[in-house]
Amino acid sequence: MARVMTAPASSPSSPSSSWRRRPWVRWATPLLIVAVLAVLPLVGTEFQNETLARIGVFAVAVLGLNVVMGYTGQVSLGQIFFLGFGAYVTAYGVSQDWNIVLVFVLACLLPAAAGLLVALAAARLGGLAIAMVTIALPIVGVPLAKRLNEYTGGSQGLSARFAESPEGSGLYDDQWTLYLVIAIGGVVFLLTHFLVRGKYGRAFAIVKGNENVAASMGISPYRYKVLAFTIASAIGGVSGFLYMLVIQYTSPETMSFGHSIELLAAMVIGGAASIVGSLLGGAFYVLVPQLTNQVDASLTALLQGAILLVVLFVLPGGLASLPRALTRGRRRLRAGRGPAAPPTTPSSTPGSGTAAEQPETERQGHA
Amino acid sequence: MKRHLGSRKAVGIAAASALALTVTACGGGNDAGRGGDAAEGAPSPGITDTSVTLGITTPLSGATAGPGTCTVAGVTAYMGMKNAEGGIEFGDGKTRTVEIEALDDTYDPQQAKANYDQLKDDVFAMTAGLGTPTNRAWLDAAIADEVPQVLIMTGDPIFSETEQSPWQLGFVPIYQNEGEAFGELLATSTEEHKVAILAQNDDYGEGYVEGFKSAIEGSDNIEIVDELTYEATDTSVDAQLTELANSEADIFFNAMSVTPLMISALQKAQQLGWTPSWFLPSNTSSPTAILEPGGAAAYPGIYSVSFSKAPQSPAFAEDEDVQTYLSALKDYGNYPDPPAFPHCQWSWMVGATLEQAFQNMEEPTRDSFMEALRSIEGYEAPLMLPDTSVSTGEDGQPAVSTVVVQKFNGRGYDTVETFE
Repeated sequence: MARVMTAPASSPSSPSSSWRRRPWVRWATPLLIVAVLAVLPLVGTEFQNETLARIGVFAVAVLGLNVVMGYTGQVSLGQIFFLGFGAYVTAYGVSQDWNIVLVFVLACLLPAAAGLLVALAAARLGGLAIAMVTIALPIVGVPLAKRLNEYTGGSQGLSARFAESPEGSGLYDDQWTLYLVIAIGGVVFLLTHFLVRGKYGRAFAIVKGNENVAASMGISPYRYKVLAFTIASAIGGVSGFLYMLVIQYTSPETMSFGHSIELLAAMVIGGAASIVGSLLGGAFYVLVPQLTNQVDASLTALLQGAILLVVLFVLPGGLASLPRALTRGRRRLRAGRGPAAPPTTPSSTPGSGTAAEQPETERQGHA
Repeated sequence: MKRHLGSRKAVGIAAASALALTVTACGGGNDAGRGGDAAEGAPSPGITDTSVTLGITTPLSGATAGPGTCTVAGVTAYMGMKNAEGGIEFGDGKTRTVEIEALDDTYDPQQAKANYDQLKDDVFAMTAGLGTPTNRAWLDAAIADEVPQVLIMTGDPIFSETEQSPWQLGFVPIYQNEGEAFGELLATSTEEHKVAILAQNDDYGEGYVEGFKSAIEGSDNIEIVDELTYEATDTSVDAQLTELANSEADIFFNAMSVTPLMISALQKAQQLGWTPSWFLPSNTSSPTAILEPGGAAAYPGIYSVSFSKAPQSPAFAEDEDVQTYLSALKDYGNYPDPPAFPHCQWSWMVGATLEQAFQNMEEPTRDSFMEALRSIEGYEAPLMLPDTSVSTGEDGQPAVSTVVVQKFNGRGYDTVETFE
């Protein structure tokens, strides 16, 4: 296991730069990831599995935020509302003994519908106005969740346990839960990956870059903003479903406004407009409180703020830009050591050749 | 190029998962305890022959950090004092020291559950944590894992229903207890009273009103003339107060848990020329933080409930309990200032109650602990007011279900027996 894990982790530092182009590497890497993900739940301890599952939940939430904010450039401060909505739909559905597949579909569709409704109005506004509209969502959501106590359990919240591992599978509950999170989260990540790299992704990027240019190219900024917002809401709903799967409890606190800001911070720290960044953002959201708790439980807020500042100062592009920053640093170091040595490749000059050569990663820099 | 980047990204994902695994590995315990039930009588996790570890998840940062810090400080101080004396002698004859692991949940249920997951295999029992949603978040998990979640600081009755929550026990009085105590005091009065009620529109307000109404049932001289609610998120209750003032009630039962709202309510009623006697919940009746800025002196009576001695009150300045408590809080509780919240005192009592349970548990197991904890009867913990005690045997009631009603005397509170 350790051998399998270390191979990809250590490879970026490998001196050979052409190995990645070899066909077997291209095929082996995704297979390797699938293999790692398949084995991971079996080897981890209970707490590791639970932590990974929690990371999965928030990675999906951050991914949704990335669709609307990172890729389409619309400030959304309401993502936590859709997570909470999805969680409540799930909890209610489970308490009513609905079929779990139906519950899942509803947990996607209802937040998506809510997102669509909000977006139809909000996307007409630009810039900060859309941020103000989306702020309203968690602010309305919390009292709404308290008041509709017939469905939401009021301020006492709702519990739902529905992830008992099936009989005969031989899996512990935490392993089964993690498999579900990996499967559902993995599908969402894959779909989003294809979405943002295809026709829609390009349209989102142009809308983000310049709405007038988009309009002149026949891309309606309004329609694409609504689309991005709706997709983000649906993904938020999925993360709400996963939230109930893993945390098994939701209350109005779930969608308090502060968490929306924390999600936003996680997105920026992970790396805006980056799939890997969403994963890193989810990891940040979950691991940093754990880390600061171990350092000093009474200083968590302070330490988290400090970590946030350090990451943003050192890596303004987010954690996802770390490999790029390292490469740049190494090249600079090499150039500094021998002033006569010319740059190894033309693209090594920061900012010149990168835009043409690395469209995806370059976009991260705009966050 | 595109392919190239794709695999590069894939490498990133793999690296990220490797990173995540290593990081969690650092924080993870062993997987002892998962699934496998321990043999009968074998020690539970978190207890050895010389020590026992308790876990706490409570808000240590954010808006509720003040009371949250107190919930850790009190019990830490008590156990620190006991450890300095050599430890506590358990019912099985062994003397153990008590270690406490406290984690911050920022009043976030998700984080509370995460903290619980982190602690459950290393601690013998979870205790003292503050908050209803943060304790509810892992209620079911604690039952499934058979981890005690006891003497926690929430007035939610669910934690005291033995059937529903076999591994739980609340410490502080449930909301109904407080409301009932008010009702009982008022029922002692022989005069006619008109009562106006304002309640928070949630389980907190409902619990208070329910307890109050049950206690005044059958008292013909008490009439509820008006009853309104507000939302915990409201920024003003002026409209409700104006309407209630019109009822000309002489008693105002205000089940409100929000400090700024309580202050502005005290001020607004005066402006309206309405000066009834007030009944305030225990958590929004602080003399310095609420009554003084609210100008409470204008009212004929401000009543609240309590079960703990107030260390700042001159009446208890010479009290031996209070002095021991204050010096231990400073020496062992990492809390050098005078305690600003009653939760510090409550947490101290939790420590004393745990000691009682430890002394009676005959095996180093969680089962035995729960049994011992549930059989404490009429224990007068240090810092408790006369006529209150810890009794854990009654189903549906928290460890402390008796409170005394107190009247504001301009500086602090005095216990009252009858309503004048």
